[in-house]
Amino acid sequence: MKSSIAKSVLAVAAAGLFSVSAVAQDKASSLDQLLKMVQSSKISESAEHKKREADFRRQKANQASLLSQAENTRASEEARSAALEKKYEEQELLVQQKRQQLDERLGSLKELFGHLTSTAGDLRANLQTSLVSAQYPGRAEFLDQLIDKMNSATKLPTIQEIERLWYELQRETVESGKVVKFNTTVILPDGEQAEQEVVRVGNFNIVSDGKYLEMNDNQKLAELIRQPDGKYLSMAADLQAATSGFTPFGVDPTGPSGGSYLKAMIASPSIVERWHQGGIVGYIITGVGVIAVLLAIWRLLVLSGVNAKVNSQLRSSTPNTNNPLGRVLAVAEENKGVDGETLELKMEEAVLKERPAIESGLNLLKIIAMVAPLLGLLGTVTGMIITFQAITIFGAGDPKAMAGGISSALVTTVLGLCVAIPTVLLHTIVNGRAKRILHILDEQSAGIVAENAERK
Amino acid sequence: MHALNDAWAAVNAFMASGGPVLLLIAGLTFFMWTLIFERFFYFKGGLKSDVQGAVDTWEARPERKSWGAHQIRYALISRVSEKIDSNLDMIQTCVALAPLFGLLGTVWGMINVFEVLAITGGGDAKQMASGVSMAAIPTMAGMVTALSGVFANTYITRTAQRETQLLEDHLTMDH
Repeated sequence: MKSSIAKSVLAVAAAGLFSVSAVAQDKASSLDQLLKMVQSSKISESAEHKKREADFRRQKANQASLLSQAENTRASEEARSAALEKKYEEQELLVQQKRQQLDERLGSLKELFGHLTSTAGDLRANLQTSLVSAQYPGRAEFLDQLIDKMNSATKLPTIQEIERLWYELQRETVESGKVVKFNTTVILPDGEQAEQEVVRVGNFNIVSDGKYLEMNDNQKLAELIRQPDGKYLSMAADLQAATSGFTPFGVDPTGPSGGSYLKAMIASPSIVERWHQGGIVGYIITGVGVIAVLLAIWRLLVLSGVNAKVNSQLRSSTPNTNNPLGRVLAVAEENKGVDGETLELKMEEAVLKERPAIESGLNLLKIIAMVAPLLGLLGTVTGMIITFQAITIFGAGDPKAMAGGISSALVTTVLGLCVAIPTVLLHTIVNGRAKRILHILDEQSAGIVAENAERK
Repeated sequence: MHALNDAWAAVNAFMASGGPVLLLIAGLTFFMWTLIFERFFYFKGGLKSDVQGAVDTWEARPERKSWGAHQIRYALISRVSEKIDSNLDMIQTCVALAPLFGLLGTVWGMINVFEVLAITGGGDAKQMASGVSMAAIPTMAGMVTALSGVFANTYITRTAQRETQLLEDHLTMDH
């Protein structure tokens, strides 16, 4: 029982190891099939074992001859190794002699080549980032060849090559002090390539068509996706159009070392982006501000109309009911003959009725003017909370991240003030209009009635 | 001429270091003082003829006793006081707005400071100085505008009250 199980396990293992028969590759679709498969593989297994036993017997005869062959090979190889070692020692001595000879002959030149190598290395690093490379491509390849030559122990640089290194250094120095126009291919923001006239300002900036360009790693010029402010772009266009004299131009002083200032300036957000930094609170403030302005304009128009009608009413003697003053006077007209006290009371009542229509919206304007800065403060405080939460998680190791958060948090305060200031002004103007009309109704209507009565 | 140029250059430098908000404050100051001077000249000039007109109308009346006469007196006073009080609200609003403008400048400058911090990491205080001056100068300018306005506004308000009071005293009634 045990041995049969062991056999079958062995058989299955062997089936996995030796021949992956077609049967084994097929997946068993049922348990019965699996059983059949195991059985058939067992049969094929035993056949294979028999074959291997026969092979082994056949090989056994050859073993002895193979062994003697291998021993012969080893002996010959050992002899060869000894010979080679001897030759190596001899040649090593020769190499040492030659090296000494080389050192003697090089003498002070050795130091010179060391300087040449380091200079060429520095120059290669400089040319990699220098904007002059956009105008004179292929300088880096020459330097690469030269440096490779220096580093190989078997070649020496020629006089021409050393002179060319000196020439390239000189050319870089001279060119970085020039403002030059030349034509070259520029990669536009949409990925297209175009042949354009570009202007190089030393190795500080390259501009073309009033746009700033940058140089990528393989010395190709590409238009910057985000450009600096419009005034700098127009200066760049002026520079390209100029033929002589002096033109003001925005130069990035960090241009030779990668242009970090220009990058930082471009990265600083535009007005619209700033507005978006305000987040939800910023949008709410903006919405409230728009409501305030619209309300103020509407009230201003309505009150101007009322004001005009009141003015024409002041000039006419018959009460017209299309304006507040006319309606108040009409009350007096209806109550002719009553005594003064009663008439005054009746008119006061009429004035009270007119008040709400004239003053509507004024309180809302005042409230918006008061609430907008508070909303701004709310946005700033929530922004600060988020910033400080970030500090709690990431630590205060990076002042840049913190400062960015605070600067965007302050945007809502600016927005709140930007809404509050015009709203206060508009409230004053609208309130002035309303007050003038009410002033006339309150203090002059009775007088007007009296004047009209006296005239008759 | 040379001194004038120097002064102009100094003003320009001041405006440049104060940033855009300082221009707004300058506009506000100009507007406020225009209104203040307008009131000042009115009190010194046009007011007298207005008061005189009201007094003449009142004195020319046959009787100054009836209910109608009282109402007409009120109306006369009201018409003149309307002229006396015009623009006073606007001046007060400007005085109240000046510190708000200053605050706007402060926050604007602070945003600039923090932006420089975000770019440079705060290693160099010199680069932040422009933002700091953009924050401090408008604040100061707003305060100066508000202070100058407060004194002028107090004077004008009191003058207006006194003139209205005097007018009321001039229009005497026969009981």
